[in-house]
Amino acid sequence: MSIEPFNRLVKLVARAFYDDFTTKGENQPKSGRSDNRGIVVVVLDALTRRQWVREEDLAKSLSLHSKQLRRTLRFLEEEKLVTRDHRRETAKGAKIYSAAVAATGDGSAKDGEEKIKLHTHSYCCLDYAQIHDVVRYRLHRLKKKLKDELENKNTVQEYICPNCSRRYTALDALRLVSMEDEYFHCESCNGELVAESDKLAAQEAGDGDDNARRRRREKLKDTLQKMEVQLKPLMDQLSRVKDLSTPEFGSLLAWEARAHAAGRGGSGDAGANDGSKSSQGYGGTPMPFLGDTKVEVSFAGLEGKEEDVKSEAATSTPLKVLPPWMIKQGMNLTKEQRGEVGEESKMEGTSTSSQLSDDKKSTVQSDDKKSIQDEYIKAYYAALLKKQQELEESAKKQEQLSDSNIANGHSDTSSSRQVGMKSKRDPEEDVWEEAQYAGNTSESYRVGDLNVQADESGEDDDDVDWEEG
Amino acid sequence: MFFHIVLERNMQLHPRFFGRNLRDNLVAKLMKDVEGTCSGRHGFVVAITGIENIGKGLIREGTGYVTFPVKYQCVVFRPFKGEILEAVVTMVNKMGFFAEAGPVQIFVSNHLIPDDMEFQSGDMPNYTTSDGSVKIQKDSEVRLKIIGTRVDATEIFCIGTIKDDFLGVINDPAAA
Repeated sequence: MSIEPFNRLVKLVARAFYDDFTTKGENQPKSGRSDNRGIVVVVLDALTRRQWVREEDLAKSLSLHSKQLRRTLRFLEEEKLVTRDHRRETAKGAKIYSAAVAATGDGSAKDGEEKIKLHTHSYCCLDYAQIHDVVRYRLHRLKKKLKDELENKNTVQEYICPNCSRRYTALDALRLVSMEDEYFHCESCNGELVAESDKLAAQEAGDGDDNARRRRREKLKDTLQKMEVQLKPLMDQLSRVKDLSTPEFGSLLAWEARAHAAGRGGSGDAGANDGSKSSQGYGGTPMPFLGDTKVEVSFAGLEGKEEDVKSEAATSTPLKVLPPWMIKQGMNLTKEQRGEVGEESKMEGTSTSSQLSDDKKSTVQSDDKKSIQDEYIKAYYAALLKKQQELEESAKKQEQLSDSNIANGHSDTSSSRQVGMKSKRDPEEDVWEEAQYAGNTSESYRVGDLNVQADESGEDDDDVDWEEG
Repeated sequence: MFFHIVLERNMQLHPRFFGRNLRDNLVAKLMKDVEGTCSGRHGFVVAITGIENIGKGLIREGTGYVTFPVKYQCVVFRPFKGEILEAVVTMVNKMGFFAEAGPVQIFVSNHLIPDDMEFQSGDMPNYTTSDGSVKIQKDSEVRLKIIGTRVDATEIFCIGTIKDDFLGVINDPAAA
């Protein structure tokens, strides 16, 4: 991202097109004092040495009145050379900017700005990519206009009657066409009209008029040539710059963030690199969260895709969007609540900013925990009920079987299964009974034992543990 | 360029139309009178799309005619200098060719036809490139740029050029 060729381009443009720009109105008399031609050149040159700059600071360092500078900058904005940003900010906001400036190592004067309540500050910056386009378009239009004039491209054709020297323009063409042949005919003498640029007509028409025309032509040609010569350096510079990547400062916010990151060094380094790679220009502040994301995701064992999306979101979105993201992260965690202990130990290692999110996470987790437990209990009871029914049935069957004493393979298998079930079911049955009580009390069609209920709720957590472990 | 605008006109209605269908008669007469006309100020009135408001009628003394001020919405077409239009060639001669874009007539003089196109007289006069790949004759469709307009009170006439990038024949009837 070499900026030098672009700065040269801006300087050339300033001198080529804007050196006689004046902010004064036409009706004001020009005195030597108020003559501010060349101000645009000065401002543009100053801007090539800066990135984003507060307009007050620029005015101060140029010893210009801020009003005058603002008028010039507004003109430059209209000319699409400069981007501007306005925002209301407090002393704190101004400090952020100052810090950013300090980080770029610009070193421009920063004094006496600490008296701020809440002012609107304007910032400006050169927009190199746009300048490149604007200048190219301007040159294209210049050339095209001159060439069109030279080739009579857009001029209305004129016709002359050789007999009576009456002149017509192409706009009269509809009246002039005759049915007999393919020529235009004079309205008064019915003579055949000739186009004015033809030699014959030129000779017959008034000499003075023709001379004026020729002179105009000469002048145009001269202008075109002069333009080619005088704008040569500019065009050379344009062609040199054409294949280079334009320096981008991004928006004011992004630039500030990036400058911060660069200024931080050490810890900010990685972030800055990321920012430049992805051209997001953001990587300074959310660094702790970035690290956090990685930890959480590896823990939750989610697909890598999701992780990418999330980390991208974290880098691209500013700080205030973080809370929903944190909540999302928390929900992922609750999918395996069991990991809470290990997770917390890790969380302690992270920065204070994640502390804040900790509270949220825990509430979310407890909510989730409750709902999951409820779900689990329901499913568990349903399964138990089924098993119970099965058990009863099979018990009956067994009784029948034992009564009838039919010894075949089928009965063998069924009996063996029953044995297995029974041995397994023994501890479960107790739980089920308790659960039955609990469920019934809640629905209140059977009087439940309060003690048992309390017991059950205590035991319920154990159930969860047992099942998941 | 097309515009959808509101215009006003005083309509004179014969007393024989007074009755239940007065309004319908008024609108029918308005359409008959206005559609297809050209005013220098607004261009060609292409179609009436709706009636905004019909004011109070005023009886003309002596005749019995009644004048209604009628406000109506309509689509108008007005050509502008620099506008690109697609037009159908209606006549080709040595001086150039005439084309029509809807209601508007456009003349393209031979100076504003690309230099590599030559006039060929004959049964079907046309402008042809030296290799014969492009031919402008009657009924050809061309894309042209308007470089001048003459606006009279009741007519609009344009001159155009096809001597620019992306202008010229867009559909050749002979090739089709």
